[in-house]
Amino acid sequence: MRRWSAVLGCAALILTACGSDDGSGDGGATAELTVFAASSLTDAFTEIGSDFEAANDGVAVIFNFGSSGELAAQIASEGTADVFASASESYMDDVSADPGVTGRTDFAQNRLVVITPPDNPADIRSFEDLGNPGVQVVLAAEGVPVGDYAREALDAAGIGDAVLANVVSNEEDNASVVAKIISGEADAAIVYVSDVTSQVAPDVDAIDVPDAVNVIAAYPIAVVEGAQDPETAQAFVDFATGPEGQATLAAFGFLPPPSA
Amino acid sequence: MARGGSRRITPAPVAVLSAIGIAFLAVPVLALVVRAPWSEIGEKLAASGAWVAFRLSLVVSLTAAALSFVLGVPIAWVLARSSFPGRALVRALVILPLVLPPVVGGVALLTALGRSGVVGSWLYDLGIQLTFTTAGAVLATTFVSIPLVILSAEGGLRSLDPRYEQAAAAMGASRMHTLRRVTLPMLRPQLAAGLVLAWARALGEFGATITFAGNLAGRTQTLPLAVYEARQTDPGAAVAASLLLVALSLVVLVAMRDRIFGR
Repeated sequence: MRRWSAVLGCAALILTACGSDDGSGDGGATAELTVFAASSLTDAFTEIGSDFEAANDGVAVIFNFGSSGELAAQIASEGTADVFASASESYMDDVSADPGVTGRTDFAQNRLVVITPPDNPADIRSFEDLGNPGVQVVLAAEGVPVGDYAREALDAAGIGDAVLANVVSNEEDNASVVAKIISGEADAAIVYVSDVTSQVAPDVDAIDVPDAVNVIAAYPIAVVEGAQDPETAQAFVDFATGPEGQATLAAFGFLPPPSA
Repeated sequence: MARGGSRRITPAPVAVLSAIGIAFLAVPVLALVVRAPWSEIGEKLAASGAWVAFRLSLVVSLTAAALSFVLGVPIAWVLARSSFPGRALVRALVILPLVLPPVVGGVALLTALGRSGVVGSWLYDLGIQLTFTTAGAVLATTFVSIPLVILSAEGGLRSLDPRYEQAAAAMGASRMHTLRRVTLPMLRPQLAAGLVLAWARALGEFGATITFAGNLAGRTQTLPLAVYEARQTDPGAAVAASLLLVALSLVVLVAMRDRIFGR
């Protein structure tokens, strides 16, 4: 009996703690803005999110980062997103078909880069070297935007078959691909330039993918149909495409959108 | 269920809570059945590479279960029958993979046996690489499965009446002979339960495998990994592949029910 009351006491304490936590903050009611964003945007959008919160009293931005395809599927089935930022136009097409979007616009671009461990065990000096026999290559899986773009670039360079034969793992997202190189488990990988963040840079070497074959990925953003507060959602879209958001994105290695 | 003719009345709260619990566990599985793309399930399974993954899953999980058994039973023996300083710590260490998130197990394996790992870099110099190989998938899976064999076998050893073994020894049986003809046969239910649970755990392993061995069709992409990858591109195929895994697991669990729960 005594043990039960202790448990209940703890539970009550936790509940009240949560309650008061919600109430504090800015004094007023807090509106939550749920943003679904491609995992390659994790660092940049986390910063943009807190800048947006600082500029908009009473708004709390909640992120769900993941692979764009998975996010699009989640939006279609669960519909809990206010804003969707995708690493690929095709997944934004899916969401604009179901449940629909407004204010769609491109806000950034990304390009591919080859990364190797700093000691470059397979002696990769060019994009074509990925097809050399015995090179252990890691790519993002098909269906993950960066994985699809990488395969596109490899085909454009005419080394698709050779490199696919060298692939030792198809990873689920950019971060997992980068992790395999940082840990030195694989010889080379293809990721976005923005994946080579300042934290990652000391642990990998980057090798350029020539413009002729590089795939420039445009990132679209839009307000999702059925957003809790479409105005705030649109404000976030404007913030990301505005000067402050663009400066943050540039700092994280993203290129400006095609129109800019 | 009435057993041996003695009918027992289930108290109402037990009946209600058990019904809620059973529904909670059964509905998701039934939902898979309802939503499966039955009209095109053959194509979906073929397109998602589920059959290749299914075969690999069988190979990896059965090998891992066998390895878990061969290594786990001796560990259980040492833990149950001998006393040495630090035994509690050793037991905690070998049971740890059971409570660790598998991805942590994968990261730990990577730092130990990866190409640039503590032991792995040395293996790599000898020309042995475990990451991105089927052997690596087996190791990662074994890592998370062993504790189930250890727990089950140690429990059995501790509850064994020592008089049978003493009697065998008194009659002049050698230690090895006693082990083979007395101890192990008496432990059969616990050993079988440990083996099946380890195998079931191995079949569902995901985190340690994808972290340590990566994801490549035909080499390290087991059925759970195939399900995860199919979700990206074809949710219907993911449901179809999930059903395959459910069916396989159910068949074995139903077939082995008496060995796990006694008869």
